[in-house]
Amino acid sequence: MFVQIQNLSFHYSRKQNPVIDHFSLSIEQGEIVGIVGASGSGKSTLLRLLAGLEDPTGGSIELDGRLIVGDRTYIEAEKRGVGMVFQNYALFPHLTVCENICFGLHKLKRSERKERLGEMLELVQLQEFAKRYPHELSGGQQQRVALARALAPAPSILLMDEPFSNLDTNLKSLIRMEVRDILQKANITCLFVSHDQADVDAICDRTIYIDCATYVGAEKETVSV
Amino acid sequence: MNKSIWLRELRRRTNSWFIVTMLGAIIIVMPVAYVILSFFQPTSENWQHIKEFLLADYIKGSLLLVGSVGFLSTVIGLTLAWIVAAYEFPLRKQFKWLLILPLAIPPYIAAYTYSTMTSYTGIIQSYFRNHLDYQFTPGTIEIMSMRGAIFVLTLFLYPYVYMITLHYFEKQSSTYIESAKTLGLNGFQLFFRLVLPIARPAIIAGAMLIIFEVLSDYGVASFFGVRTISTAIFQTWFGMYDIDAAMRLAAWLLIIILGVFMLERFLRKRRKYDTNVTQSRPLARKKLRGLSAWATTLVCLATFFAAFLIPFIQLIHWTLKTYEKVWRADFFSLMANSLFAAFIGALIISFFAILAARTINLYPSMSSNLLARVMTSGYAVPGAVVAIGVLALFITLDEKLAFLYPKLLGVESGTLVLSLSIAMLITGYVIRFMAQGFNAVESGYTKIPPSYREASFLLGRGLTYTFWKVEFPLLRGSILIGFALAFLEIMKELPLTLLLRPFNFDTLATRTYQYAIDERIYEAAPSSLLLICLSILSVILILRFEEK
Repeated sequence: MFVQIQNLSFHYSRKQNPVIDHFSLSIEQGEIVGIVGASGSGKSTLLRLLAGLEDPTGGSIELDGRLIVGDRTYIEAEKRGVGMVFQNYALFPHLTVCENICFGLHKLKRSERKERLGEMLELVQLQEFAKRYPHELSGGQQQRVALARALAPAPSILLMDEPFSNLDTNLKSLIRMEVRDILQKANITCLFVSHDQADVDAICDRTIYIDCATYVGAEKETVSV
Repeated sequence: MNKSIWLRELRRRTNSWFIVTMLGAIIIVMPVAYVILSFFQPTSENWQHIKEFLLADYIKGSLLLVGSVGFLSTVIGLTLAWIVAAYEFPLRKQFKWLLILPLAIPPYIAAYTYSTMTSYTGIIQSYFRNHLDYQFTPGTIEIMSMRGAIFVLTLFLYPYVYMITLHYFEKQSSTYIESAKTLGLNGFQLFFRLVLPIARPAIIAGAMLIIFEVLSDYGVASFFGVRTISTAIFQTWFGMYDIDAAMRLAAWLLIIILGVFMLERFLRKRRKYDTNVTQSRPLARKKLRGLSAWATTLVCLATFFAAFLIPFIQLIHWTLKTYEKVWRADFFSLMANSLFAAFIGALIISFFAILAARTINLYPSMSSNLLARVMTSGYAVPGAVVAIGVLALFITLDEKLAFLYPKLLGVESGTLVLSLSIAMLITGYVIRFMAQGFNAVESGYTKIPPSYREASFLLGRGLTYTFWKVEFPLLRGSILIGFALAFLEIMKELPLTLLLRPFNFDTLATRTYQYAIDERIYEAAPSSLLLICLSILSVILILRFEEK
């Protein structure tokens, strides 16, 4: 298995009930898995645990055969090689589209960096917007930049947290198709969180339903469009 | 959480950022802790004397001053805030910010200006005598002693309550007030039954600031000869060179401050005042007409004249008379001293403010909240208390390090090094004014979504790179404001500078004060005016900061 989550638990404070309680999940390489649940069900927290932005209170996560969280192990977020598209995109407002995309490419040589930037801009079809600042782009364009930025360092898995929630309803279906295409072209393993069944139906190979704190285990294959 | 996970967390969080932040917190806590510890030291003979004959008077003086000024300035500040927020009258817009300006006049400057103006030779009495042929009975209008201290402090500190309550009225009160109006409340009824109770947290927040300022005051009380604990600390140190007795006095002052904090907690009880209405509409103002409109304008005008314009113009007048005499090379060295100390102090403050704000933002928890409290505690601790704590600490350090000095610095053994250096003064400034720098940076941090930093981590960047490339560019404005506010506060600070400055190190503030107590009032005017102009700058900065 490419991603192996075992008995993962998390709570914000000792007084509160756990948000995630002994959750287990495996994902195969190249799979696009959707997680659906009501708000407060812990689905975003799951992504944050996987990314290394929250520390679990128990359990372990393996990624591509490497233990990234365990009782004694904790690989920092910056060393996990996980890409993430945030709900609000989190594009750095003081950097241009190019600078945003190149932000994570520090391990590449200058020439390679330029090449990778070109590939990414082409992938998300934003070649003409390279010099713009995030606030000069539409919501859909911002989202594509966020996607390009997350994919640029070639992460082993891409996490997407409600990526469509900030978009107009009439744009959504179009942008879902675009994202689906980009993910397919990039051929990447992806874990995708949404409260909207339609998002998941459009994009994912498999859907997991989680329900308040505990993993109920209802799993069903959805037909991809 | 089991032990190995706990260890894993500890290891992760103990990075260099965290360690330096803790170091800063320790530097801030040490002097105050030192003062508190003095309670457990054996007492000196001087202290027995002070305790028997003077302490009760000092405490009474401080409490009387705090009580009267606290009450009067709250009434004035609140009334003006309500008038400006709820009514429309001629020049309302201008008064809205003009009424904040008294904050720019340091009270000790106002004290000597007013007392000179109302004296026998001052402008008021001489005008009546020479032009109207009227003689005041001595003692009728002179601003002196306790009465004068209360008058001056009230007039120049009310803007704290005014600013905070005005902000509350304008931004958050409209839904309550509108619903009260539909329930038939109006005028005075509305004010006493609704406005006063709902604005209580804002009023108390403003009043607390006033109380801290009054307890911290040294210039006004000592100019008018009022006995307070702050002035007593000075007398004990400069009169008897008894640092232990001075520390005990400082500890008493801390107890009063603790009492004030507890009183505030008690008053708040279980009530919760937060509005759930996040984007409340601004309050619709009632238009005043005719006599009431002009009467309201007159009230604002009178306050502005008394609390700003009259002393300001008087100082300009005196400055024109004396600037040639004062404007010498000496004056520039004063400026240089003030600027140098303020610059270094503000720089160190900004450094620790960034570190602390970042730690709190990065690891929000109970302990980091405590850290924030500690970092900002200086604003509530009077300058004299901070100074005595720092002084005692540095003297102890000198004693402990004395064996090193002959070898390291080639000085005779027994020489004081640290406690005669400017480092002591700067440490005092950093502790006292950390809150200015910290609050600005902290509020800047709250405006940066955590996801920016998280995105940077996930793109493979570490803490330090993320700080310089993501957080710093977005924080620059807040850091600058924090720096400027701390800088200006240091320029104005009097009691701390008087106690901690190295020998022969004079600043604008200390020289102004020196002139004033030497009765060289006219000579004090140019530097006073300069200090006021700097303060106006800081008031403008605060206003712009609030608007953001």
